[in-house]
Amino acid sequence: MKRVLTAIGSALLAAFLLIILKNEYARLLPVSTYGMQAAIAQEETENLFIGSSMFRQGLSIDVLEEELPGNSYILSYNGNQPALMAMELQYMLEEGLKIQNLYIDLYPYTAAADPWISDTKILLDTDLDFKLRAWRLMAESGEASFSDFFEFFVTANNEQLLTYPVNNRLVSSQFRNGGTLLSQEGSTKEELDALGTLGGREGLNEAQVQGYREIAALAEQYDLNLYFLETPKYERMYQDEDYRELYELCLQEVRELERSWNGSGSFAVICAEELNFDTSDAANYQDLIHLSAEGRKEYTKLLCVAVAGR
Amino acid sequence: MTSNIMLTLAFLAGVLAVYYLTPRAGRLWLLLAASLLFYLSADPRMLLLSGGSTLWSYFAGIRTEEAETKKEKKLWLTAAVVPVLLVLFVFKYLNFFTESFAALLSLAGLSAGFPVLSLVLPLGISYYTFKMISYNADIYLGKRKAEKGVPGLCAYLTYILFFPQILSGPIERSEGFLAQLHEGPVYDAGLFAEGIQRIVLGLFKKMVIANRLSAYVDTIFSAPEAYPGLACVMAAVFYSFQIYCDFSGYSDIAIGMGNLLGIRSKKNFDCPYFSRGIKEFWSRWHISLSSWLKDYVYIPLGGNRVSSFRYGVNIMVTFLVSGLWHGASWTFVIWGGIHGVWNLLSGKKKPDCTLPRRIWQTALTFLSVTLGWIFFRAESLGAAFSFLKRIVTGFSLSYLDIQNSILPFTRDNTCAAYFLTACGFLFLLFLYERGRVYGRTREKGETYLSAFWLAVMTMSVVLFGVFGVSGFLYANF
Repeated sequence: MKRVLTAIGSALLAAFLLIILKNEYARLLPVSTYGMQAAIAQEETENLFIGSSMFRQGLSIDVLEEELPGNSYILSYNGNQPALMAMELQYMLEEGLKIQNLYIDLYPYTAAADPWISDTKILLDTDLDFKLRAWRLMAESGEASFSDFFEFFVTANNEQLLTYPVNNRLVSSQFRNGGTLLSQEGSTKEELDALGTLGGREGLNEAQVQGYREIAALAEQYDLNLYFLETPKYERMYQDEDYRELYELCLQEVRELERSWNGSGSFAVICAEELNFDTSDAANYQDLIHLSAEGRKEYTKLLCVAVAGR
Repeated sequence: MTSNIMLTLAFLAGVLAVYYLTPRAGRLWLLLAASLLFYLSADPRMLLLSGGSTLWSYFAGIRTEEAETKKEKKLWLTAAVVPVLLVLFVFKYLNFFTESFAALLSLAGLSAGFPVLSLVLPLGISYYTFKMISYNADIYLGKRKAEKGVPGLCAYLTYILFFPQILSGPIERSEGFLAQLHEGPVYDAGLFAEGIQRIVLGLFKKMVIANRLSAYVDTIFSAPEAYPGLACVMAAVFYSFQIYCDFSGYSDIAIGMGNLLGIRSKKNFDCPYFSRGIKEFWSRWHISLSSWLKDYVYIPLGGNRVSSFRYGVNIMVTFLVSGLWHGASWTFVIWGGIHGVWNLLSGKKKPDCTLPRRIWQTALTFLSVTLGWIFFRAESLGAAFSFLKRIVTGFSLSYLDIQNSILPFTRDNTCAAYFLTACGFLFLLFLYERGRVYGRTREKGETYLSAFWLAVMTMSVVLFGVFGVSGFLYANF
């Protein structure tokens, strides 16, 4: 009995220590080619794009490197939300990353959602303090349960850490400066028409709106040029009343920020509709909201021209 | 409650908090109350049915014992067994047989409309029905005395509805179990420690391995044509491990919970994938069911002391019953049939053959069992054949196919990490069981886990347990 209890007790203690170590120090593992730590390791980047999968699928790192002056980095996490983007930006600035131009993903659905970390890679890239703040944000605004807490601090990313030497090499080969190197094929009109839209939301989430405000405040504080970008969605999305309503609300909030902008840098909002992008061509899309490799190249070229014109 | 092992363990903790503080004579009553409460919380509508069946079986047991002639005893045995089998038939098999009969009629050009009953399967019915049958049969055969009086009834109800085992077995025999209940369970530090070890081992198998593999297996089996043949092979192999870890994991937990309550049970699994032949496999897999079928189906049919033809029939009938016990579907019948045929075809293995030959025999047995699992897992016979067809026609080891076979693990760039982790834990299980089968740990007792394995498994459960998946595969049977 004593042997059993000693073994289990030692294992629990060791697990607890590993959990603390993971949450605080996993970020110090040699960096990959995407995520916050890889951005921080660059020390300086002229163009930093922070967003969700809209940016990962919507921006071509090849085109950005060709068309924009200086180096570019795309920081994208699945379902990345404004409230989290603000925390990520603050974290990277405090870690010493120097930025000139900051591009923020303006995707209405993430702005309407309760704060939540959908992509656990964020947890792998940050220290315990960041995670605790993120957890508090989620717990205050959402319905975080004990099992979420357990997953968040205990089980998240353990597989990636256990297989780090192999996994990091495999995953890193899919990115350069945060931009995906994978090539996704476009769809057909029939395929996209068969997909359902994403449904309605009850307005914007206050914590997410606050996230936009914090991003603007940080941009002011660090003298950054701030751009809000809306990547092109398939034409059906723009005809969807739910999406349209959230989109307008998002724009209102961002325009409000523009009016009160007090920074030394510039402030711009670039929506897909302003660009000459063909939102009716299904080949440009992987699904209703994500661009294909072709669409990504096309959109990024148009975006670079629009940025140069500002 | 039943679908969540953590809640079941929490329920056990609540029972344990008062169990050993209760005088020894009162522990039986406490166990009965806990088992009734557990059943009531899980399946309140069916408690009357399971309780009523138990009472009838108890009463018929007494009458069987008291009967003076063999004929009368037989009558009471029939009266005990037929109603419980009838209940099982109505709840579990009636729709299957009427649908199959209707399909047969339509093949002959006739049409017949049978009503389809939408009945909820009572919790643990397959398990407790078999327990009752063996209890009554043992009284008939003179192997045991009938339970009598209020303490006897209380013990019998506890035996049938024992909460750690009601969900997924094992199908505990009445003799040893009831004797322990009558003696009054006592705290035994050694048994308590054994119980904890069993629970850790069971949690490791269930949470770390079975739950980890379930999403992948479900994805591929639901649409095999959408994935490469290699993915189907991987899903079949992973399902073999999933069902083993799920079911033996639950058995370990259930037996371990019993141990914590001072009740010893026989093992239900004994490293079955180390078997060198199909006969050996069945002596190591779901031992409580296979020994039940041997004692109450195969031997009463004549066993092997009959002509070759009758022996073949006896084997086939036993395995077809085994298939049907698992579920009311032709896939289970075919699965039982496949194992029956393999049993008939397999010979005795020489114990002292060379290592390469032993490895070959073990691998061949595993592959044969895996082939059977495809039928067991598939939604229908058509789906099973589509799955097999996909393995044959869509198999290649191209880079793209390897990539597309690993991707379904998570559908994102973490899939390789999950795949490698799953393989790593399967290897860990292999090392542990290899030690149990060939190493020194076997001599040290049935559940011996060295401090190393206990620590490794505890840490794995905490750090790598997949807690989101609830339910046990064998709870559906």
